[in-house]
Amino acid sequence: MNKKLIFFVVSFLWLAVAAGLISSKQHIIRTGKTVLLETVPVDPRDFLRGDYVVLRYKISTLDLSTTLSEKSYYERGRKVYVKIEPGEKFWEATAIYLKKPVNEAGVYIKASVQACYQKKLALKYGIESYFVPEGEGKDIEAHMRGSKSSVAVEVLIDTSGNALIKKVLTP
Amino acid sequence: MMLSMIFSLLMWGVIIFAVARSVTRGFGKNASWLRREVPLWEEKNIISKEQGDALLTLYKLKRAAAGKRMDMVKVLTLVGAIFVGLGVIFFVGSNWQRIPALMRTSMLLAVTLGALYAGYVYSFEKEGYFNLGKSLLLLASLFWGGTIALIGQIYNIPTSENWYIILLWAFPIVPLAVFYKNDYAHILASVLFVIWNFLYSGSNGAANYYYPLIVLLCMLPTAQDLVVSRRINIIGLVAASFYCCFNKYEWLSLMISVGLLACYLFRKQERAYLYSACLSFIFWNIAYFTVREGRPNLYFLLPVGYMFYLTYKDNIEKNLVLCLAGLIVGINLALSSFSYLFYYQFNGIQFIVLQSFLGLAVYSAGIVSRRRGYLFPVTYKISGYLVTFICVYLLAFKALLDEGGEASNSVYLFGSLALGAAIVLFMLDEIKSGNIKSRPDRIEFTAMAAALGGSLVLLMAPQAILLNTIVMNAVLVVFALCNIFLGVELKRPRIFTLGIVIFVLFIITRYIDVTWKLKEKSLFFIAGGLFILFLGTYLEKQRKKIIERMKAE
Repeated sequence: MNKKLIFFVVSFLWLAVAAGLISSKQHIIRTGKTVLLETVPVDPRDFLRGDYVVLRYKISTLDLSTTLSEKSYYERGRKVYVKIEPGEKFWEATAIYLKKPVNEAGVYIKASVQACYQKKLALKYGIESYFVPEGEGKDIEAHMRGSKSSVAVEVLIDTSGNALIKKVLTP
Repeated sequence: MMLSMIFSLLMWGVIIFAVARSVTRGFGKNASWLRREVPLWEEKNIISKEQGDALLTLYKLKRAAAGKRMDMVKVLTLVGAIFVGLGVIFFVGSNWQRIPALMRTSMLLAVTLGALYAGYVYSFEKEGYFNLGKSLLLLASLFWGGTIALIGQIYNIPTSENWYIILLWAFPIVPLAVFYKNDYAHILASVLFVIWNFLYSGSNGAANYYYPLIVLLCMLPTAQDLVVSRRINIIGLVAASFYCCFNKYEWLSLMISVGLLACYLFRKQERAYLYSACLSFIFWNIAYFTVREGRPNLYFLLPVGYMFYLTYKDNIEKNLVLCLAGLIVGINLALSSFSYLFYYQFNGIQFIVLQSFLGLAVYSAGIVSRRRGYLFPVTYKISGYLVTFICVYLLAFKALLDEGGEASNSVYLFGSLALGAAIVLFMLDEIKSGNIKSRPDRIEFTAMAAALGGSLVLLMAPQAILLNTIVMNAVLVVFALCNIFLGVELKRPRIFTLGIVIFVLFIITRYIDVTWKLKEKSLFFIAGGLFILFLGTYLEKQRKKIIERMKAE
């Protein structure tokens, strides 16, 4: 095969992959709805790694006895949709679905089950890390220490349930 | 942090390698000197071409390809360009937010595509710089990984699912590996796919069926001439199959096993395919057991039977060991399934006794193979001997017999008795048929009878701990003596030495066993050390004397 042609094909492929990766974010920015999520303190030992901060949300662990749920047990790795509704200040999880309801209005965020034990469901939304400029992580970390975190996160959620961090807000 | 460290190390490795290959070509070492000199001697008719070839073959050197040396200016330019590229990547990596995201992305892509272009030019446009081009293409592949990771960082694209990034790194460099036949890129892509497989399964908690498909349909067919890459992919598949045992992915391990077997049937020169298929089928059987504990996997008989057939047909002695291991694992899993069905608990002693009998059965197969002139009698004997010896050695520990098993497991008990009876019948038949004539045969049978008898006593009276301990230690001594006598009879120093080793092992183990309970540990070590020193010196002298005598005879 023509070596020059391969060079162009590979270059195009690399550009396309990079563009696709960026456009996946642009899509969420264009179509996503902004919600404000409450964070919870994270074990300081694994909080700040290099240039990104590890975030954990109040909705990362749900109580199956108080949250509307289709099942009482979920196996690890299963994809679920969590319905969130605006609360007093932050958005709260109100229901868990195996499939995104088609005819119901509302905001649904896609998650994967990390663990399910004693009626508690640990979930991962793919927004658990946030890159920061060098040195800024310490400031955020200071606000996440103690028994209650004062850091809030603005998250964009598109119609398919994909989430993206828009802004990390510190007091 | 971790990712950037890996990138830095990889890139430094590539830079040093690329520059070293370019600069040191033709310098320094004797091998390179000889490679350059041989064509010169041939040209001046000092030696003939055949003699030149013979010289190069002697030192395992390839004939030097017509290549060009880079001048220092070019080397410096190249190093400078690489440094600029690295600088850009680290600059963007520091996430300096005053530069717009699009600008940072463009810088990254420019550096990566620049390295790719340079790699292409030096590989195919400029003659004589192929190796340099090859290294630059690898550098471009590494830059590509950095670019993808940093784009994720710049745009805060969720990268907590790291498998996604690894996949986006690996896939786009496959064309370089395949169409440019770049073995470095092939190795890099292969390693990345292995990492991706485990990250995918770990993140999603699901079996990754895509991984074997990618490897079997793309990576392995394109690695026909790339030994390192091929082996990485094979190891990756076996590791993936092994991972299935702990995660109940029985279909995935079956798919990998069948795939590896198909690879072997298509390309029999690569025996690693057969070994890995055999291992993978064993992992499949284990995964099957973890999913359906109460259902014995009778389907396993098909692949294990076929593996035996291929081992004999293609005369691959090493694979026999894997086949035997598969068979033993299969029998144990089947018995465990029956135990589960009939609510029997695990009994350690009965389990070990059964393994010991399985070892004796394998050894018997070696005896039959030797007498009838079949293939691999020695492999059968060594495998069977090792299994039985390890079991006898374990059963000689009083502590193990004390705690071995409270509730009897009838499945293992009757399984062992049936197997033991079959071995007894075989031995009687051999004696009756007059096949046991020579002294070595009789020594072999003595060891077998001792192991069999000792284990049967243990099975029938498990509560008599002291008696069993004495019996099994006596069996161990019989093993040692039989090896010593057999070695002398056959004039085989290795068998003789093995007997001595077993004897020493027995003495040391029992010494530790008995005296470790003493409160005074200093006495234990001093007395033990002196004892081992004297015993070792004495036995070594005797061993050398006998071996010298054997050689003299």
